[in-house]
Amino acid sequence: METGTSNGFRITLFGAWLAILFLTLPLVVVFPISFTPHRYLSLPDGAWSLRHYATLIDDPSWRNSIRDSLITGVASTVIAVVLGTMTAIGCWRLSSRLSETVRILMLTPMIVPSIVHALGFYQVWVQFNLIDTYTGLIIAHAMKSTPYVVISVSAALANVDLKLEQAARSLGAKVVQALWMVIIPAARPGILAGAVFAFALSWDELVVNLFITSRNVYTLPRKIWDGIQDNIDPAVASVAAVLIVLTVVAMLARFAVARRQRHTPLST
Amino acid sequence: MPVSLRLEAVSKRYSDQLAVDDVSLEIGAGRFVTLLGPSGSGKTTILMVIAGFARPTSGRIFAGSQDITDHPPERREFGMVFQGYALFPNMTVAENLAFPLKLRKMPRATIEREVERMLDTVRLVGLAQRYPRELSGGQQQRVALARALIFNPQVLLLDESLSALDKKLRAGLQEELRDLHTRLGTTFVFVTHDQDEALSMSDEVVIVNHGRIIQRGAPKALYDRPQSHFVADFLGRANFFDAVVAAASARELTYRIAGCAFRHALHAGDAAAPAGEPILIGLRPEKIALTRQEPAEGTNKLAAEITSVTYEGPNQHIRVTTPIGAMQVVAASSQLEIEAARGARAWLSWRPDASVVLHDDR
Amino acid sequence: MTADLDASTLRIYWLLLAVPLVLLAVFYLYPLSRVLWLSVTVPTPGFENFEKLYSSAAIQRIIWTTVRICVLTTMIALLLGYVVAYAAVHVRSLHGEMMLFLVLLSFWLSVLIRAFAWLTLLQRNGLINDWLMSWGLIDSPLTLVRNEFGVALGMVHYMVPYAALPIYANLKGIDPRLVPAARGLGATALQAFVKVYLPMSLPGLISASVLTFIFSLGFYITPALLGGGKTVMIAEYIAVQINETLNWGVATMLATTLLLAIFAILAAMSFFVDLRKMFGVK
Repeated sequence: METGTSNGFRITLFGAWLAILFLTLPLVVVFPISFTPHRYLSLPDGAWSLRHYATLIDDPSWRNSIRDSLITGVASTVIAVVLGTMTAIGCWRLSSRLSETVRILMLTPMIVPSIVHALGFYQVWVQFNLIDTYTGLIIAHAMKSTPYVVISVSAALANVDLKLEQAARSLGAKVVQALWMVIIPAARPGILAGAVFAFALSWDELVVNLFITSRNVYTLPRKIWDGIQDNIDPAVASVAAVLIVLTVVAMLARFAVARRQRHTPLST
Repeated sequence: MPVSLRLEAVSKRYSDQLAVDDVSLEIGAGRFVTLLGPSGSGKTTILMVIAGFARPTSGRIFAGSQDITDHPPERREFGMVFQGYALFPNMTVAENLAFPLKLRKMPRATIEREVERMLDTVRLVGLAQRYPRELSGGQQQRVALARALIFNPQVLLLDESLSALDKKLRAGLQEELRDLHTRLGTTFVFVTHDQDEALSMSDEVVIVNHGRIIQRGAPKALYDRPQSHFVADFLGRANFFDAVVAAASARELTYRIAGCAFRHALHAGDAAAPAGEPILIGLRPEKIALTRQEPAEGTNKLAAEITSVTYEGPNQHIRVTTPIGAMQVVAASSQLEIEAARGARAWLSWRPDASVVLHDDR
Repeated sequence: MTADLDASTLRIYWLLLAVPLVLLAVFYLYPLSRVLWLSVTVPTPGFENFEKLYSSAAIQRIIWTTVRICVLTTMIALLLGYVVAYAAVHVRSLHGEMMLFLVLLSFWLSVLIRAFAWLTLLQRNGLINDWLMSWGLIDSPLTLVRNEFGVALGMVHYMVPYAALPIYANLKGIDPRLVPAARGLGATALQAFVKVYLPMSLPGLISASVLTFIFSLGFYITPALLGGGKTVMIAEYIAVQINETLNWGVATMLATTLLLAIFAILAAMSFFVDLRKMFGVK
């Protein structure tokens, strides 16, 4: 929808693109730095080198941190998806004031600042002997991610007819069968979106990790953080470059899929 | 094998209201019974109780001789067609139909065969691989029907399932439903608020209001012999007279209204009303003859002046004023002998057995 | 609706809710309660930790710095976010999709990466200073980081997508015929915007501003990296209390204060805005 090309709008559009450039251009700086031949943060003046990318693969501490992030990410995502979907389905079907209260409770981790629940996790994880363990980190990440899955699946379920569950039962399905064979597949887009969010959240998590892990579990964000604190290792730039490229690719892929879905004739 | 259904003193209370009030109902095996009533009458709740989606607060339900009150819906083996059809959006038509059979762990070859057969029965062959969103309303309706019937249920329950369709499509599907019922012989329980639908499709109509059964019977019996004001008013159009009984005998009574006297032939089941008692008389508009000449003695007659005429195609709906008040007459256009025009004077006449005595439940 | 369900079905659905809830209670709500508990029990039972809110100049400075930066950040991020969202809604769809794509890209990128990029740009020997000096525009490096400017810049950069996306969703829902209708009645473009469009976008704007503000209050990573220890916001201060001075009393007290402040703001907002819509639950 166009408002026409009034001058006011032209200025606004110009301002909008300036803002967008402000958002995206600074990240471009990461790329040339990653190719620097020097061992300190610098621009490659003449000679370009891939040594810092090689570090990511050769240096075991980088490899291991990627591995730790992947393990925590996948495991916490699975847990968050299960818990979040259960919550969303229960609230969808029960639709009572009590269940709405439960739903709001489940959203608390979204509202509480990271530093606050990081303190809490630390205290209790010491009690439960979960400090610096994969299990401990996975549980903490799962708790943080669940609200996003709840929101995502709830949104998908809002479009699912409540009668579908009744229809399935009238055809002979027990409640659990109805949920598994009919309702959950119908909510699949929301579940997938929630899973992506949960994984991204875990992948990027730093504050909680700083408090409840030390040497045993050492995720990528922590490695980057430590890499920035002292003399900044240009390998950080390489990681940043790789992550940016991965994000762009993932988003382009999703964008292409969404476009194709929209253009396939489906409706009557 | 179709089965009979019996509700015994079933009540269903939600927190603040009594949706179903002490309903006892028997639906014979293989019959097509319609629950008819206005919105909020409780008819859908009764259906939900039969289906097992609402637990009765009191009372019991039987299928055949079996007490199914405590059976969850998935154990009852009743097919159900929902308002909005509730087709599974992520499955193709074939997968929707196969669903109940897969649940019953039937072998794949059997499932495929049954799905084919069912598609043929509802005339949807060739649409097996489509998704519900790709189908028209009428097609979705037939898929929903097929899915509910594919596992040969003892009872088919239908919840206002035709209400979303346009008139012509509805009429077509009503015929198909009737036809299906004749072919399959399954017990059908149909819920609707549309009285034309109820009258045209059912073996028997049960009129429901305020959670109670008001009257039940074959369509013709209900239409010709309503027992209460509600039923007379709900099923079609009616004239109502608040009259007083002038004289009563074994076979006939005379009632007076606004100084005029009319005869009513008593039917079996009419309550005896002694002289002097108030009485509510109902008279269907199509049972009144409209003539230019004054009719002969011996029949009920009334002078009238036409106030409006509404052309309805095969019929004309004529409103008149008379000494006893406003009335409505419905006459077949092809048989109307007078020019039905505003202001024209005419005579109304009707036979003594055309009227009914109604219970006043206003 | 619930009344429809028989007892055994109800049990199943409540179980679906109960399991996550119990896990949340044990592994999240209990830790939160520990923080609250510690704030009034360590080092001695009582409210002496909270008294430091009045008595400690250092703490007051931190709080003031935090609020100041967050208010500034929110205002700038909202302005930029509104401009971007408005433009994206009013251009042809492909153009708008591209704008949205880039905003989303910024949204999904790791906060660490972004802070790192700014650090490399803004440092004393960073790229911006290098360029400015090589072009002879300045003689000595500007202090662009390790101060409020750097922190605010980094936070605005993080927050713009958080503001832009909900505002975009809200603006998309505004009837596109309203402004032309106002113009047709004689309003200038500016009048139509101020009197018709802006008021309609106000609910979305308020939601976005509240969300942005309360998220920025608790920020740790960006301010810590770009503040360089000179500009300290409350989250970093809390971390320092734990890691360096082991002052759990003050740390949990500040954490509790932060949490209560956020809940208070949300509670106040709940009178004006449907909170569930704000968080995308409805």
